[in-house]
Amino acid sequence: MSRPPRLLALLTDGYGAQGGIARYNQDLFDALADAGAECFIAPRHGDASGVVLPRGVTQEAPAFGRLRYVARCLLAARRHRPFDAVFCGHVYMVPLAWMLARLLGARLWLQAHGAEVLEVPGALSRRAVEAADLVTVVSRATRHTLLSWASLAPERVRVLPDTVRDMFEPGPPSEALRSRLGFGPGPVLLTVGRLSSAERYKGHEQVFAALPALRARFPTLVHVVAGDGDDRARLEARAAELAGESAAVRFVGYIPEADLPDLYRSADLYVMPSTKEGFGIVYLEAAACGLRVVGGVGGGSGDAVPGEQIGVLVDSGDGKALEQAIVRLLAMGRADPEAVAPYRRDRFATAAKRLLSRLMAHPRRMKGQHEFS
Amino acid sequence: MNERMAPRGPDGSGDWFSPDGRVGFTHRRLAIIDLSERGAQPMHSADGKLTITFNGEIYNYRELRAELERKGHVFRTETDTEVLLQLYADRGPAMVEALRGMFAFGLWDAARRSLLLARDPLGIKPLYYADDGWTVRFASQAKALLAGGAVSRDPEPAGIVGFHLFGNVPEPFTVWQSIRSLPAGCTMTVDATGPDLPAPYYRVADALGRRAARPCALADARSRLSAAVHESVRYHLVADVPVAVFLSAGLDSGALLGTMAELGVRDISAVTLSFEEFRGTANDETPLAAEVAARYGARHIVRTVNRAEFERDLPALLDAMDLPTIDGINTWFVSKAAHEAGIKVALSGLGADECFGGYPSFRELPRFVHALAPLRVLPGAGALVRRVLAAGVGSAIGLHPKAAGILEYGGSWAGAYLLRRGVLMPWELAGPLDADIVEEGLRRLVPLGRTEDELKADSPLGDFDRVAALETALYMRNQLLRDSDWAGMAHSIEIRVPYVDPFFLASLPPGDILAAAGAKAAIADVPQPPLPEPLRNRAKTGFATPVGHWIREAAGPGGGTSFSAASRAWMRRVWQAGWTGAGMA
Repeated sequence: MSRPPRLLALLTDGYGAQGGIARYNQDLFDALADAGAECFIAPRHGDASGVVLPRGVTQEAPAFGRLRYVARCLLAARRHRPFDAVFCGHVYMVPLAWMLARLLGARLWLQAHGAEVLEVPGALSRRAVEAADLVTVVSRATRHTLLSWASLAPERVRVLPDTVRDMFEPGPPSEALRSRLGFGPGPVLLTVGRLSSAERYKGHEQVFAALPALRARFPTLVHVVAGDGDDRARLEARAAELAGESAAVRFVGYIPEADLPDLYRSADLYVMPSTKEGFGIVYLEAAACGLRVVGGVGGGSGDAVPGEQIGVLVDSGDGKALEQAIVRLLAMGRADPEAVAPYRRDRFATAAKRLLSRLMAHPRRMKGQHEFS
Repeated sequence: MNERMAPRGPDGSGDWFSPDGRVGFTHRRLAIIDLSERGAQPMHSADGKLTITFNGEIYNYRELRAELERKGHVFRTETDTEVLLQLYADRGPAMVEALRGMFAFGLWDAARRSLLLARDPLGIKPLYYADDGWTVRFASQAKALLAGGAVSRDPEPAGIVGFHLFGNVPEPFTVWQSIRSLPAGCTMTVDATGPDLPAPYYRVADALGRRAARPCALADARSRLSAAVHESVRYHLVADVPVAVFLSAGLDSGALLGTMAELGVRDISAVTLSFEEFRGTANDETPLAAEVAARYGARHIVRTVNRAEFERDLPALLDAMDLPTIDGINTWFVSKAAHEAGIKVALSGLGADECFGGYPSFRELPRFVHALAPLRVLPGAGALVRRVLAAGVGSAIGLHPKAAGILEYGGSWAGAYLLRRGVLMPWELAGPLDADIVEEGLRRLVPLGRTEDELKADSPLGDFDRVAALETALYMRNQLLRDSDWAGMAHSIEIRVPYVDPFFLASLPPGDILAAAGAKAAIADVPQPPLPEPLRNRAKTGFATPVGHWIREAAGPGGGTSFSAASRAWMRRVWQAGWTGAGMA
């Protein structure tokens, strides 16, 4: 190609925004810019003033209102054309992205994170998804769900998983943290996550119920619950009810992100038999710090915990299986952090660059062309 | 996966994993060329960089080998498999265009870290793959992919609707969402980014278009046809084991036997199915087949099948059936007979009707389209008539369910084809299937659009070639060839089809010349001496086998009396065997 590929990106969360989706987008556009692409980002959230953007990336001011956002995108499309591809960071915006791609004669690249593809979208959005040249998703489960309602060649739908940040790495346990939070001699089972009444699928109560049997075997074993939320009081009551002894469960409240690596390093096993994780990045962060993981079957967890190197997934309704998995994995000691290597940023960047070159290698799809293969 | 495919290859089994454990092949061998251990698979190139697992036969492998040897390639075996490895080293993925044969293979290139999947131009050998976004699995049978246990059995509405419309599952779909068929005439590259889109290297309509552009005098048509059959049969005889023939009382298989004999093949085994119910009736193919066998000095093996055996075999047959289909039963029994006679390879006359215009569709489709196309200017009239007739008026006046759609569908090639080949019509699907499956399946399948697509050619096609393109790319591919593969391989029989060969197709005269020259009847004169006179005069029996009656009875009540009703009933029976969802297949 004579000139670098040019992308117009419609993002919910751009540079300068916070949260998982923002981080994913930033990783992605860092990688695409590094591959030589020229990227023009139109974000709903994220103010890039004061952020050092990678070379090749330009970001418009955020525009949240719907009409304002459409106008911003149209202007950016006009001002910066030609474009080779329109990137759409959320299924919610795909009709707009499809229209822009058609206007610009560009390819359409859609990113889906998980929850937004569980329901079949409206007819217009569905047609727009089906017109995509490339769809990236974070897990195999999301891919399977999307392909169940989108008539699209499966080869166009590729998995590009979330990344584990470099701050999550093995290290010695923090004695200061252990004594401050009152871990005792352990072993320590750890669960990290919001205690939200909307997220009861995380499986805290199943762990509480396993504690009496576990403590019969390991009398000083404790379950440390990190996180806060509107469900905390109820969970505390359930813990008292199910675990038998009050000493068995420690609610330690919200732990700042910077302290999470130390928290993981100070525990012995990560336990969260959740049934609906979109991807389960928390499992990988724990594993990156050397913790083995007992997760739950369901949702996208199979991608974060694909094998024994990281941990096992159990049916959260099967108390005996949960108890046995905990006993077995405690005996196995620390996890090999190398198991997390496929989810590191460098692998993500390599995969993103390959996807860009495959996207550019094919001519864009024509209007009215049936997806027959 | 390997175990599930054991009947396909009883002569050997092999596994291979790449040093990093990220690529693995498993293979079952039916030894036909170079029977020694050197022919075992998966096979590696001398430098170890290329590895192949291959199903099929390359009939021009000796020529390709000679050409590669001239370029300095050194061979270690006498196999066609090794020719594939060296040809890939020489030409890369474009190698597929040089292959004359039937094939499906996976070839791992360690230097490029890329896997090439390829399937023959007309779709004789199947290749299924399942990509879950992390891992790509491929196999010659869809059920082998399921047998591995890691592939989801969630239903694919497009495949299910396709089966109920056509009696076979149109590629690239299967009845499982996670499993696809690599379309015939396509390659697919799999690398670190996953599988790339299937890349077509051969299309039937384009090939027919190119053929039509080459002039041929009517006077030369018969001699060209004869030369083409001789050449194709000669290629299809390449083997280190005896090659037999499936012989009916029709011209197509008789011409194959006659040509084999003319080419000097001795001690040919010819296998004919006989049905107890037909003994002594005009439907019995045995006497005429015996006459043909005697004329060419073949060892005639007549295998009698009765209803009791059909019922005994039914569970095994349904288990071997790789995708739901309403056909394949005759092939099952003739292959079984061949296996009992110690045969490994047999020629079949499959494909001749598509080449020479042997189906009624060659007459009916053009007639429909030309008569009804002018009526398409009345928008909605066809649909209105269909609604009225399908609502009960049609059956009240004794019309076939398809008749309701003649006005709506008959005026377009795709619509007329659906009427001709369809088992159920789109408006009848709501009976056997859930409304959600029907709606989603029709939306994903786009049956008319997909059919129309097979007619798109670089140069415009005449009427004969249009029908030939549809019958070859749809009915023959999705029904006849697929059924031949599972039903033959279940008995470890390799079925070879000399009339299904792109080189053969290209060397025939253009379609309109074939039609004018009476190609179908001309087959009788291809071998010397020609086929016996009584064969020429025999009306095509088509489906006049008792299998229709057994099917109807096996299908249970409501089977009706006509063949059409029987195939509908049999379709229900096959579908009820259970295909998708947990614990099936």
